[in-house]
Amino acid sequence: MLLNYIKIAWKVLLRHPFYTFITLFGISVTLTVLMVITSFMDHLLGSHYPENKRYRSLYVTMLTQTDSSRNSRSQGPPSFRFINTYVKTLQTPERVGISSQFSFANAYVNGKRIKLNTKYTDADFWRVTDFEFLEGKPFSEPQIKGGDRVAVITDKLRKEYFEDDGKSTVGRDIEIEGLRYRVMGVVKGSPVTRLYTYADVYFPYTAPKSNYEKGQMRGNFVGIILAKTPADRQAIQSEFDQVIGRLPASGEESSFHYSQFVVKADTYINQFLTPFFGTDDSKKVFFYSIVGVIVLMFMSLPAINLVNVNVSRILERASEIGVRKAFGAPARTLLWQFIIENIFITFLGGVLALIFSYGIIQLINQSGWIAYADLTINVTVFLVSMGVCLVFGLLSGVLPAFRMSKLNIVDALKS
Amino acid sequence: MLRHFFTLIWNKRRTHALLIIEIWASFLVLFGVLTFLISNFRNYREPIGFSYENVWVLELNNNEDTTNIGDKVQAIMQRIRSYPEVESASRMSSNTPFSMSNMNNGITYNNVHTMAEFYRSDEALAQTLDLKLVAGRWFGPQDRAAQYTPLVINRKFQEKLFPNENPIGKVIKQDDKHAWKVIGMVDHFKGKGEFTGNTPAVFESLMNTDWDKNILIKTRPGTDANFEARLVKDVLGVGQGWGAEVTYLTESRKNQHNLTLVPVIVFVIISTFLLINVGLGLFGILNLNIARRKSEIGLRRAMGATEKTVSMQFLGEIWVLATFSLLLGLLFAVQFPLLNVFDMDANIYVLAIMAAVGVIYLLVTLCAWYPSRQASLVQPAVALHEE
Repeated sequence: MLLNYIKIAWKVLLRHPFYTFITLFGISVTLTVLMVITSFMDHLLGSHYPENKRYRSLYVTMLTQTDSSRNSRSQGPPSFRFINTYVKTLQTPERVGISSQFSFANAYVNGKRIKLNTKYTDADFWRVTDFEFLEGKPFSEPQIKGGDRVAVITDKLRKEYFEDDGKSTVGRDIEIEGLRYRVMGVVKGSPVTRLYTYADVYFPYTAPKSNYEKGQMRGNFVGIILAKTPADRQAIQSEFDQVIGRLPASGEESSFHYSQFVVKADTYINQFLTPFFGTDDSKKVFFYSIVGVIVLMFMSLPAINLVNVNVSRILERASEIGVRKAFGAPARTLLWQFIIENIFITFLGGVLALIFSYGIIQLINQSGWIAYADLTINVTVFLVSMGVCLVFGLLSGVLPAFRMSKLNIVDALKS
Repeated sequence: MLRHFFTLIWNKRRTHALLIIEIWASFLVLFGVLTFLISNFRNYREPIGFSYENVWVLELNNNEDTTNIGDKVQAIMQRIRSYPEVESASRMSSNTPFSMSNMNNGITYNNVHTMAEFYRSDEALAQTLDLKLVAGRWFGPQDRAAQYTPLVINRKFQEKLFPNENPIGKVIKQDDKHAWKVIGMVDHFKGKGEFTGNTPAVFESLMNTDWDKNILIKTRPGTDANFEARLVKDVLGVGQGWGAEVTYLTESRKNQHNLTLVPVIVFVIISTFLLINVGLGLFGILNLNIARRKSEIGLRRAMGATEKTVSMQFLGEIWVLATFSLLLGLLFAVQFPLLNVFDMDANIYVLAIMAAVGVIYLLVTLCAWYPSRQASLVQPAVALHEE
């Protein structure tokens, strides 16, 4: 029977290829846009290599100092000393890793310039992240304490600097800005969008030019806190807030007198929003609702369109309904037929959308627009949006049809 | 005739409600995207006011070294100016052109307050960036012992603080201890690239400070990476343990552009698909509606209506529908220029509204064109016979 319904649905779709095309185009393009955008958001904010544990991590990335008249404020990443003293010592977290913000260096090899992103990290950084070591291993605490000139490089830099001569890279020297470092390990590179873990070369924080002793509270470092479970993060936040609350509120930082300072351990997405909205939750809600309205606006258009086309077309099905009723089909059977038809077309649109999204995502990944991009299709989002399409389809296609199937045969045939 | 259209549409308002909502939503989406596009395009057409070809930025970082920074920077500057490959070089604060850093400060004159981007630089900047002064002069040796810090402003800044007077020679107090004296004015200066607005900006002469360690270097055409490697090596020879990073302004300009262009392109692509979607839908609905009104057309033709009046009738109907929806949309859109949302020039909103209205009319006309042509070809005899 189901097979029969599908056959009928297929024939109905072919009867008016143009309208079928409109419906399919609407469903598939809308879903594709939605899928690509969510996949990109997920790429930016979700848990991916090398921050696979982002879902249970907190980040300390920003410290804001305000003067007594509230006129000037000075804002930036915390210093190594600050993180080491107040974040490393927290009791609740599993571990705390420290890495520096972006810094740059140049290496010159055989007359060509290689532009490098550099990061200075501690040993725990390699434990809170999940870097895949293609060769060697990370540098250890004793090496950091001893101030050894060692480095971990990415496979991309290995290729550019050592030019794939097939020999093992571990133990060889790499010269960066006139200083030589011994390569300890080679990791698989990560996309530039992972701000706190991306680099071409990683040094111990005791290496030259790391400036880890600079600054009182403000400096150039980021703390990555790994909680035991996602739920533990709130306990960590309140513990951190208590620790900060016990510190003197006012002080002086590079000749700037501040009377209060704010620093938070935030989830990855919140630490981006906090600089804009402060710690005020109502502003955050406002921001989310604005974004929600815009998305709704974009999504409602195709939905209205789908409903419109369906409603206009239902009248031409009147005679079909009339004939089927005249031959003794009960209302329930008719209802099922329309439901199957709608599921069928939504499903077709969904399959097309999957193919398109997959193509576009592959294109983004391969285009080198973001090196090491790893966009994936988010199955949950796909299923939810398919569900939404289905709801609209059913509302606009099935409801009027069902109402019509309740009509007297004579009226249905007459129209 | 118009009244007749209104009656027709009013009588079928229930069936047309969805269509009206659809056109209304399309208008609002279009209005948003066009505002975005027009404001960027207008910015793009204003000159940036300086030239960036062959200019490099050398960013110095003294790291742990804290002794005699000023002297070392001076020594490095002299070394850089001595190369034959260098046309001119100038020190500058960290907010170099196309960089990601900003220095925004409030400044008050005669109780008028404005925010301005502060660039600290030396006497060679006008030559390095090829700045054209429209009044006064750039910093010179005669300013070195001056009582006030010399200041060069841009025209936007003059419009804010000295709307109807000559700004040259005016003294602006910062506090009791410190004041600036305006000595010159440039026309435009958009430090973050073509797509940013022309906002108030001032240049103040940098005293030999320790923290302005960015150097703009204008090289002769044809200078390559070999010179760059030599330059970095020599600079790091003077500043032991320092960091030195070279970027080209042409490269950082591309980065700044991409920050604007990528969202614009994404929005345009999405909206285009939306509009195609809406257009197709409209086309389908109108086709169905007109096919259903064959008998009405037949009657009108039999009563002597020409092909032209019949197709005009359907076009007229859809225009009236669109006008309904646009009036609804305008209720929302007009709020933006009235309330001055996002601090934008009201003209941009007005232009965007007009453009969006135009696009909507064009879209509905395109969608109604074919169905109304088909309708006008209906032969009265055939139509009435079917009845």
